[in-house]
Amino acid sequence: MENLIEVKNLKKYFSTPRGELHAVDNVSLNIEKGKTIGIVGESGCGKSTLGKTLMRLHNATSGQVLYNGVDIANMPMKEFKKDYRSNIQMIFQDPYSSLDPRMNVLQLIEEPIKVNMKNLSKIEIKEKAQEMMELVGLAKRLENSYPHELDGGRRQRIGIARALSLNPDFIVCDEPVSALDVSIQAQILNLLQNLQAERGLTYMFITHDMSVVKHISDDIAVMYLGQVIEKCPANEIFKHTIHPYSQALLSAIPIPNVHVKKERMILRGELTSPINPKKCCRFVARCPYATEKCHNEEPELRELKTNHSVACHYAEKFM
Amino acid sequence: MAKIHTPAMEKIEKRNAKRKKPVKSTPTTESWKRFKRNPTALLGLFVVCILILVAIFAPLIAPFDYQKQDYASMMQAPSMKHLFGTDQFGRDIFSRVIFGTRYSLVIALFCTIAAFFSGGLLGIIAGYFGGIADTIIMRIMDVFQSIPMIMMAMCIVAVLGNGIPQLVAAVMFASMPTMARSNRAAILRVRGSDYIESSEAIGVGQIRMIIKHMIPNAVGVMIIYFVGFLAVSIMMMSAMSYIGVGLSAPTPEWGLILNDGKAYLTSAPYMMLFPAMMIMITCFAFNLMGDGLRDAFDPRLK
Amino acid sequence: MSENILSVKNLVIHYETDEEVVEAVNNISFDLKKGEILGLVGETGAGKTTTALGIMGLLPTRVGHVIQGSIELDGENLLEKSPREMRKVRGKKISMIFQDPMTALNPVKTVGDQIAEVVLLHERCSRAEAMIRAQKMLAMVGIVPERYKDYPHQFSGGMKQRIVIAIALACEPELLIADEPTTALDVTIQAQILDMMRKLQKEHNTSMILITHDLGVVAEMCDHCAVMYAGELVEYGTVEDIFDNPQHPYTVALYKSIPSLDKDVDRLHVVPGMVTDPSNLPSGCSFSDRCDKKGDMCNKHEAPGIVDLGNGHLVKCLKYKPEVEEK
Repeated sequence: MENLIEVKNLKKYFSTPRGELHAVDNVSLNIEKGKTIGIVGESGCGKSTLGKTLMRLHNATSGQVLYNGVDIANMPMKEFKKDYRSNIQMIFQDPYSSLDPRMNVLQLIEEPIKVNMKNLSKIEIKEKAQEMMELVGLAKRLENSYPHELDGGRRQRIGIARALSLNPDFIVCDEPVSALDVSIQAQILNLLQNLQAERGLTYMFITHDMSVVKHISDDIAVMYLGQVIEKCPANEIFKHTIHPYSQALLSAIPIPNVHVKKERMILRGELTSPINPKKCCRFVARCPYATEKCHNEEPELRELKTNHSVACHYAEKFM
Repeated sequence: MAKIHTPAMEKIEKRNAKRKKPVKSTPTTESWKRFKRNPTALLGLFVVCILILVAIFAPLIAPFDYQKQDYASMMQAPSMKHLFGTDQFGRDIFSRVIFGTRYSLVIALFCTIAAFFSGGLLGIIAGYFGGIADTIIMRIMDVFQSIPMIMMAMCIVAVLGNGIPQLVAAVMFASMPTMARSNRAAILRVRGSDYIESSEAIGVGQIRMIIKHMIPNAVGVMIIYFVGFLAVSIMMMSAMSYIGVGLSAPTPEWGLILNDGKAYLTSAPYMMLFPAMMIMITCFAFNLMGDGLRDAFDPRLK
Repeated sequence: MSENILSVKNLVIHYETDEEVVEAVNNISFDLKKGEILGLVGETGAGKTTTALGIMGLLPTRVGHVIQGSIELDGENLLEKSPREMRKVRGKKISMIFQDPMTALNPVKTVGDQIAEVVLLHERCSRAEAMIRAQKMLAMVGIVPERYKDYPHQFSGGMKQRIVIAIALACEPELLIADEPTTALDVTIQAQILDMMRKLQKEHNTSMILITHDLGVVAEMCDHCAVMYAGELVEYGTVEDIFDNPQHPYTVALYKSIPSLDKDVDRLHVVPGMVTDPSNLPSGCSFSDRCDKKGDMCNKHEAPGIVDLGNGHLVKCLKYKPEVEEK
């Protein structure tokens, strides 16, 4: 299968008063056409920044993002907007704040069409927007409603319609269901999966929720402090987790079953600061197995099995 | 178990039954609803409306010509004939105060508009573009702001002379920094919001972003500052007239009437009392309205 | 069996504004035994937080009204207490932990002072004693006691929630209400906090109401579980009852709609429609519009009564009361 997106050594640093914040640090990923890659990690691990850098909402510090072989991270903004903006779209985390409160549903969905397809007439734009509303399951009577009148699920549908109206082939989904209720979350996840099946979309699904990511993804990349520390097919990670952090992350999830009383691997301490990180394993402060070597050397992401890469000096030990 | 029915629910049901159509809820109607529920804001609006009516119909309301000197009735205390008394030239203070409403309101409006289009626009530019533009504009404003407002206005009048345009210019320059600062803050707040980022992601260009997203969302806050600034302008104008650098006699501007009366403060306090009260009431009304607008447009700002 | 510490009966809470009446809590009853943890589960608008605020006597003034019912703590009806008496109860007998640790802490006071303040308010002791107690509490929740002089912003999110817990437990309350205590935290931090809460709860034999939308957290922490929907308690029982043998269609649907870690499904089960709006409840059963087992009577009949399936497993659904349907 060919890769739609290839991320090569992507770095995104922010300068802060306290030093350089390494939000995304040397990330390389391949995303196959029509597949979903799940990016998991805790808050501050750089997963959202990674998504926004692919979208060019941030400009990369260094590295490449190849879309069908063309480097879109380093081309002039003007060219990117003209030729690639419609192909790469994003669904935002918070359906409450990511919609302009002064526009109604129809205006919100018409906007991307109006802005990007300048040759369409007013009626054509409206028709297309109505078509999008139907596609994401928004009733026609909601056309003139404002976001504040709608619940989270419907607002997120507006967000999806906005992204889809440009016929993208790659969509960055930045925690699209984490602000929603459980029963609504299932509706949105199914909608995303159906749309993917119908239109052959490729997703990058960013979330902190392991069970959601497992359900929706084909491949999973676990991020910790700006780096990908484990990368493998979705089924693998729940059966053969290798990196100590991934193990801890998995064991921390509360399981809705009273009979499973699992041994929990409780991590000490909190996330270390991503500002001016030292040359060492990023997880060293919380890792129960850390040794001298982990403090002094930064582990590389190594492919241990087919399609399963881990960044840990002692990965073989945990296999 | 039957559902509980409370008096409050009955009240709402009754009212809803009376309404034929449900009211369409847009962000603007929501704001108006909140404003309507606020009694002090409505009081402010009511007083402001009366003041505007007074200004428009001044010739009909005022019993005397505001300029007419009547040496037969000088320095009279308030009576049924002269409600607010007369001044040292025998002019009816009531008529002068009524006509003063015209001058004060109109000039204050001009001052505020001028300040808004100079300082406000600079603030919007600084807030939107950020970076160097922001630094340069805001540092200049800082310099402006380090000079006391009244002093600044006095200098301008000293150079340009007395008169309405000069007064407007003076108030404008003096209030530019505050205006720039508040508008910049309004734009920055909108600029940082998620929906701007999400619009950027679908490819909305700069101009559309400003016109369709930023201004409509910032306009509420800007109106709040605008109304609040009307009160400040009236105060500033009156203060300048009072110390003799604003308008010149015999214009019936409130500050000038105050100035006329200051020599007789001990013998005829009513000469200052009434115009001073007008200034106070007007500013108070604008401030009440401004606070009400703030609560209506942005309940979180409280 | 041990005695009940808290007993809520027929509680109805409405929020009344000029625009609408929100029927936030509709006739719920439950008991909490000493030393037990009750999980209160439900989606947005289910009335979980309102129930908690009602127990605490912290409903927003003028808007929130307890329409009927009683809340008995140790046999005393809290609703009959004056605001003054309630202030003595709060912090001493009942404490509450809120979802967002940031808003619960005072940014300009040291954390030690904030813990000591609660102690001083409810117990007769000197400042110095209170301060020592504060340090003990910090140690208890796993923070180095020397940090009592630090301000909230010097702590991370997980640490702040620990401090909030320390404040809540400072006076050894009989009942602790935790409103989504870990929702704002990362999973690994959540695991730490839950682990600690469970230990402290066992040590002090505190009774607890744990409000959450995460069924996993309930399964792990609680003894009993109450499922709420649109202000009603639709199912109540031991966690074993609720998790192994869910009976109410809502509970069943809720399980099916969560993606599972150990099972593979192509598409998730979907509960159709939106979460019912408590300001506009349907007639009859509130869940009827979304229910896949809906019968003809569900809308016509008044809200279904509670049926005991045995052993205190309560369900509020017409399915279990066929005789009503014949009426």
